Amino acid sequence: MILSRRTRMITALTGTVTLALVATGCGSNSDEPASAENPVELTVTTFGNFGYDDLYAEYEEANPGVTIEATNIDGSANARTDAFTKLAAGSGLSDVVAVEEGWLGSIMEVSDQFVDLNEHGAQDIKANWVDWKFEQGTDPDGRVIGYGTDIGPQALCFNQDLFEEAGFPTDREEVAELFGGDDATWETYFDLGRQYHEATGKAWYDQSSFVWNSMVNQMEEGYYTTDGELNVEGNEAMRAKFDLLAAGTADGLSANQKQFDWGKGKAFVDGSFAVHVCPAWMLGTIKEQLESAGGGPESGWDVADVFPGGASNWGGAFLSVPESSEHPAEAAKLAAWLTAPEQQVKQSAAANNFPSTLEAQQKIVEDAVPNELFNDAPYGAIFASRAEGVVAQFKGPHDSVIQESVFAPALNMLDTGTGTADEAWDEAVKLLNDLVVNN
Amino acid sequence: MTTTLNRPAAGNPAARKTAPTFRQRLNILDVKASPYLYIAPFFVLFGLVGLFPLGYTFVVSLFDWHLLKGQGEFVGLRNFGEVLQDRFFWNSLFNTVSIFLLSTIPQLVVATAIAAVLDQNLRAKTFWRMSILLPYIVTPVAVALIFTNMFGEQYGLINNILASFGVDRVMWLNETLPSHIAIATMVNWRWTGYNALILLAAMQAVPRDIYESAAIDGAGPFRRFFNITLPSIRPTMIFVVITATIGGLQIFTEPKLYDPRTAGGTARQFQTTVLYLWEMAFQRQNFGKAATIAWLLFLIIVLFGLVNWLISRRIATTGDGRSRRHRPGGWRGKSSAAPAVVLPAIGSQPPAPSREQEPSDGQTDTAGNPTTRRGQ
Repeated sequence: MILSRRTRMITALTGTVTLALVATGCGSNSDEPASAENPVELTVTTFGNFGYDDLYAEYEEANPGVTIEATNIDGSANARTDAFTKLAAGSGLSDVVAVEEGWLGSIMEVSDQFVDLNEHGAQDIKANWVDWKFEQGTDPDGRVIGYGTDIGPQALCFNQDLFEEAGFPTDREEVAELFGGDDATWETYFDLGRQYHEATGKAWYDQSSFVWNSMVNQMEEGYYTTDGELNVEGNEAMRAKFDLLAAGTADGLSANQKQFDWGKGKAFVDGSFAVHVCPAWMLGTIKEQLESAGGGPESGWDVADVFPGGASNWGGAFLSVPESSEHPAEAAKLAAWLTAPEQQVKQSAAANNFPSTLEAQQKIVEDAVPNELFNDAPYGAIFASRAEGVVAQFKGPHDSVIQESVFAPALNMLDTGTGTADEAWDEAVKLLNDLVVNN
Repeated sequence: MTTTLNRPAAGNPAARKTAPTFRQRLNILDVKASPYLYIAPFFVLFGLVGLFPLGYTFVVSLFDWHLLKGQGEFVGLRNFGEVLQDRFFWNSLFNTVSIFLLSTIPQLVVATAIAAVLDQNLRAKTFWRMSILLPYIVTPVAVALIFTNMFGEQYGLINNILASFGVDRVMWLNETLPSHIAIATMVNWRWTGYNALILLAAMQAVPRDIYESAAIDGAGPFRRFFNITLPSIRPTMIFVVITATIGGLQIFTEPKLYDPRTAGGTARQFQTTVLYLWEMAFQRQNFGKAATIAWLLFLIIVLFGLVNWLISRRIATTGDGRSRRHRPGGWRGKSSAAPAVVLPAIGSQPPAPSREQEPSDGQTDTAGNPTTRRGQ
């Protein structure tokens, strides 16, 4: 008797649990405009330093009924894993997802899993953005799957104290001249590095792969041709740049730092290296590093309106709305609002990055708010000038893999002095074949 | 338990006389079926979250399966062929085994030594026992963060200390062996205390009078340790070895967080097999091959389990196995590969608890054993 009663109880319990499981699987799928009567919760996933926190509150206030549930992932690489996992699982993506330029190529392969923003008025606001940014967010079928947030035009960061030590000029305009102004080349960059190394015995740049990314990003075609064919093996122009970098590294110009770690920022305050390639968002990264290492404006960093080899863009993000969103219209509205010029100005102030809409860029140049950490540099004007002439490069599906798993190990061979230029290039080609071609 | 035993007695005489009533049938069914019902939740859950994924992973491994684009065409065993020829797969296997050996061997030696020390009559016993368990409570992520900092190449504590003694900096991240040692250190730090505590529990169950008589016969502390303690804790030791093996072959968190930007170092110098699996699935987006790696890893663990089981069976029979009663002859027969994996893990668990019963039932039994051994 006692037993059977227990059995009954277990049956009942199992039933309840099953019911509960079934119940949680369901959800409403209404897409009516949000209002106080029809509250809508929107989820947003961003990564790194996005500067959206105040904007969320502002949007919630302006749109009664909307609550924003925000998640921020520590870096682009983890955000990629997160997004890919959820895409593969077919659920779990936020209503608004931030996508990085580096892995946009992979997302483009499954662009049908994202809402076509044309259905939500993308064409009406198209003119807001610099052309190439809007085009990057458009798939081959003309579907717009992402609104651009920021772009990464590259300038050159340098350390005044270290430049002084080497007898180089320290004023940012003179430094720009030193590197060759509008005609700055990588050859000059490495030659100056050798001079600096001779004068001080110290390294010139932190590690090779950031320099390499910059070099490749400014080529007309990078790891892929515009037709989507791999473009590494037998690419003479790319090989020439690789050799240039390898020669510099072999001459002791690389500090062999660990990228995105830099000894928890210590390398930025102890004079390990004197120049750093700086896409706009890098200022935010350096700021975090300096804070973590106890540095500040006195650490001597500044940013010059010059870049070897001409205009270059590295990174920048997009806001996308996945098809799995339950409130695509509301989500698209939020994405459009967050990327509108007015909000981009605020984002830029909060996150130290550079906006992708023309009006916001202009506003930042006009406001000319100095960046205290970088010797009061007028970063708006500097990056606006650096953004001129940037051409969007086609990013293939494996661009980020090639950057991180093919060239990073090869360049590491150079940094650690365990291989020559030939060996490192061969290793890169071998890795490319193993990881991408025969994947 | 008691109810199950009582029921048949009540039900049987009635059944012999007349046809059983519905109620009685229900009772019989209850008696026969309910034990299975009791254990069912585990097996249902295991089937759902263990067996099904295992089978499904195998299905995935037979296809070209892209992470984002989903299922592609059926390729049979091609993925297996390709992964077995993949230099990175073998590299990851080498790293896994190397880290496993570097962590398990010192860990067990030290754990046994600590357990032996704690087994002595110490003051503030609980304090010492809790202290050695402390690292186990800290989350692996925190452990990895702290150790990564300490093992930093240019700014790390260890290299700074080495440099102040004029020793060359060790490339803890970029070179293979140093990076393995660094990762093994994290594992050891976390698990040594845990294993020591399990071994200590086994040592506590060894009857004290054996030690006394051995001491009277003139055996020193080392002799007593090697001839009494070690043979007595053998079953527990086997359990610890097997769990350490399974854990060691699946190591992921420590090498992943040792360099969070890469999947096991820029040149894959500390990429373990599970990390390679992760890279294959989420960076290279080849789900089919990732599933293949998962299956190969499973087979390798089965293989290790089998070897462990064979060794442990040998040890158990040469040691105190003769006098132990929980060895039904049936399972030494033609057991297939599958139970061989499961059995050592489950089968070697009972010795630990059964030790606790020892003082009540097995004193003479185990007490006699070492004496005869010494007599030989």
